[in-house]
Amino acid sequence: MKRRGFWFLPLLLILLLSGTVFAQEFKEFTVFTGEPLPDYPGSTIVGDIIERETGVKLIREALVGDLETKVGLMIASGDYPDLVVAAHFTSLLKDAGALLPLNDLIEEHAPNLKRLYANHWDMLTQEDGNVYWLPIQAIPYGPDTSRYPSLAFFMNKRVLKEAGWPVIKTLDEYFGLIADYMAKHPTIDGEPTIGYITLFDGWRSFATTNVPQHLMGYPNEGEFVPVMQQGRYVVTEYHTSPTAKAYYKKLNDMYNKGVVDPETFILNYDQYIEKLSSGRVLGTFNQFWQMQEAQNYLLRDKPESIFVPLPIVIDPLVEERQRDIPYVQPTQGMGITIKCKDPVGAIKFLDYLIKEDTQRLLQWGILGEHYEVDENGLYYRTPEQLELFRDPDWVQNVFGRHYFFNAFPSLRGVDENGNMFFPDTQPHLIYSDSTDSEKEVMDAYGVKSFSDLFNEPIFKKYFPLWTITMPAGSAAHIEETRMKDVLNRYVPELVMSSPEQFDAIWENYVKDIKPLMVEQMKVYQEGIDWRMENW
Amino acid sequence: MNTSACAAPRGKTFWDRVKQQKVLILMTIPFLVHVIIFRYVPIWGWLMAFQNYWPGKSILQQTWVGLENFKLLFDDPVFYQVLRNTLAMSVIKLAMGTVSSIILALMLNEVRIMWFKKSVQTISYLPHFISWVVAANLVRDALSTDGGIINEVLMRLHIIKQPIMFLGIPALFWWIIGVSHVWKEVGWGAIIYLAAIAAIDPTLYESAMIDGAGRLKQMWYITLPSIRPTISVLLIMNLGWVLSAGFEQQYLLQNGRVIDYARVFTIYELDYGIKMMRYSFATAVGIFRSVVSLILVFSANQLAKRWGQERLV
Repeated sequence: MKRRGFWFLPLLLILLLSGTVFAQEFKEFTVFTGEPLPDYPGSTIVGDIIERETGVKLIREALVGDLETKVGLMIASGDYPDLVVAAHFTSLLKDAGALLPLNDLIEEHAPNLKRLYANHWDMLTQEDGNVYWLPIQAIPYGPDTSRYPSLAFFMNKRVLKEAGWPVIKTLDEYFGLIADYMAKHPTIDGEPTIGYITLFDGWRSFATTNVPQHLMGYPNEGEFVPVMQQGRYVVTEYHTSPTAKAYYKKLNDMYNKGVVDPETFILNYDQYIEKLSSGRVLGTFNQFWQMQEAQNYLLRDKPESIFVPLPIVIDPLVEERQRDIPYVQPTQGMGITIKCKDPVGAIKFLDYLIKEDTQRLLQWGILGEHYEVDENGLYYRTPEQLELFRDPDWVQNVFGRHYFFNAFPSLRGVDENGNMFFPDTQPHLIYSDSTDSEKEVMDAYGVKSFSDLFNEPIFKKYFPLWTITMPAGSAAHIEETRMKDVLNRYVPELVMSSPEQFDAIWENYVKDIKPLMVEQMKVYQEGIDWRMENW
Repeated sequence: MNTSACAAPRGKTFWDRVKQQKVLILMTIPFLVHVIIFRYVPIWGWLMAFQNYWPGKSILQQTWVGLENFKLLFDDPVFYQVLRNTLAMSVIKLAMGTVSSIILALMLNEVRIMWFKKSVQTISYLPHFISWVVAANLVRDALSTDGGIINEVLMRLHIIKQPIMFLGIPALFWWIIGVSHVWKEVGWGAIIYLAAIAAIDPTLYESAMIDGAGRLKQMWYITLPSIRPTISVLLIMNLGWVLSAGFEQQYLLQNGRVIDYARVFTIYELDYGIKMMRYSFATAVGIFRSVVSLILVFSANQLAKRWGQERLV
């Protein structure tokens, strides 16, 4: 008995010691990021450096299911992580008193945050004079331009190639091309061709219902568009506009001709991405970030079927301004909650993350290993380095960028010495770093970036409307939910009905949706007026 | 000690009986405490339904609004749609689930080859352990028009010419919920009935056999009547859940096309309550559900009593 006890003692001691050493070495913060992200792999290239330099380990919780639900439950239970990102619902957390004011913390402990967010401070200051959250992607020195526009009607490259790279402008031309190709090629790689699919899964259904405003030439404003009238932006609805009617009519026509995927309205997001990634879908409308995952897989595995963004409007006379100037989303970002035991440590961690060196590490990597500097001081990547960063699995799981970039305070645009924070937007590299498949399209249209297929964006001070949120539980808020219900119910019916029924359904739809916009438009109008005055 | 407690003459004072049964009483206390803490204390939260509740303030600092939330609820046309859907799906699930479990239990009971019986039982209750998040994706894929197995089989058999978009037909939604519920729960539900069947006195079967009853007649005249108490108790208990009808299943299988038929109370509370921070409204809906459930259980219990069946209380 006694001997056995002695035998275990050293082992126990070692275990205890190593335990205490670990606990001393790392500070732990819990963080909820309002988006789905796989579990942290435990060790990544950038993650290990960050852990070593800050002594901070993050305990992550990613979003599963609905963000609204999660935030609602969080508030109801009062059970908050140390750091929280609640996207569109950040202000709800503030109203519930869950967020700490950051002004003093930043003033005393975070010189980098103070310096890099200085441009946006007015926007971020709430009515009580405090700042409660830090939006992702601050733009300290100036904007950049991406390779892809933020939203577009996308078309499978094989369609454009076969048609001899036509320049198309209208919805009719777009669907005409798709229908022609589909008639000629009923299958792709042995599987049935899918002409057009539209995403309609839960909150993501704006990929379908937002389209009329873009067909009218606007960038993404949300559910309403501010239209300039006699020197004032007047909030205007588009859900019942003639453009909306023409758009749904077109989809209805295409659905009945078998061009629109018959099950498009019942697909969930995973199924949608899976179909896009198969390379047999000819067209879809979406915001680029919602289909980027599929595009990345296509670039790697099926370069002949990548999606090309096209500036499509309803009528050739409409002025297309769908692109947006990179903007900071002042109504959402990362906050420190009242449950955080060490707010100073947390703000210092964020201050470390935001500084230029860390941002460069996250985006470009390690000098000499992941990027090089040319004689003008401009960064570039060798073909081998590029190849690495083209593999989305590598970037996420081995390099580890997503785990410290998405949702966390970060920088975009041009940096202090003329390089871009995002390698993808380095102007002299956008073209040269594109894949061969992308270059083929750019060459055919004589552009150096897909964004160049679109007109220059217009600067609007308030932009965008959708970052104005409805007061929780207010009449306008209830109206908003009901309006989305109406859209959810009618849009599939409008598209999937027989052509003769369309007009009758449209009339019912207009009758039902019209009364559900009044209160919302009031709130948006007030918000726009306030921004025009105060920003 | 136990024998003496049981043998004690009746008619003693209350405290004598408490003393006699103190071991039993001690054993029940943890459960009593559990029920009080987790089932009765939260009922204080019902106060929220009569307030305009805002998180972060204590319950007594809130603004009181009387029956405002209930008025909003009963004025909402969506409410009646939700009530219809919940009742319909509950009844379908209850009926299909109970009948299929009983039939499976009866059939399994007749199987004499042990390995076959065991493997059927295991296979049929396995889906119970899959979460609906995964199961809903399986159902979606099986029902897909783009190579889904159900459409493929029906087309190969030349029963249909075109794939049917099952999940896009509003009239079918309740039945898809019912059938997928059966697929997931049939084996699990059968276990209780199998246990009840195992408790039947074998001499009953022997005498029935001597009287010339075949397998079917034995089932009808011996097995079924013997498990009738189990069936009625389970039915009464399940009636309490009629206004719940599940959540994940409908939530994950619904889509815009069928929303008018898919939205049940739990989803309604979420969409129009919690998601919009209308906690008071969600509570009002919850109270409505609880009260109706209570009425249902008690009336079912009364009915069972009148019909001379086993009952709950």
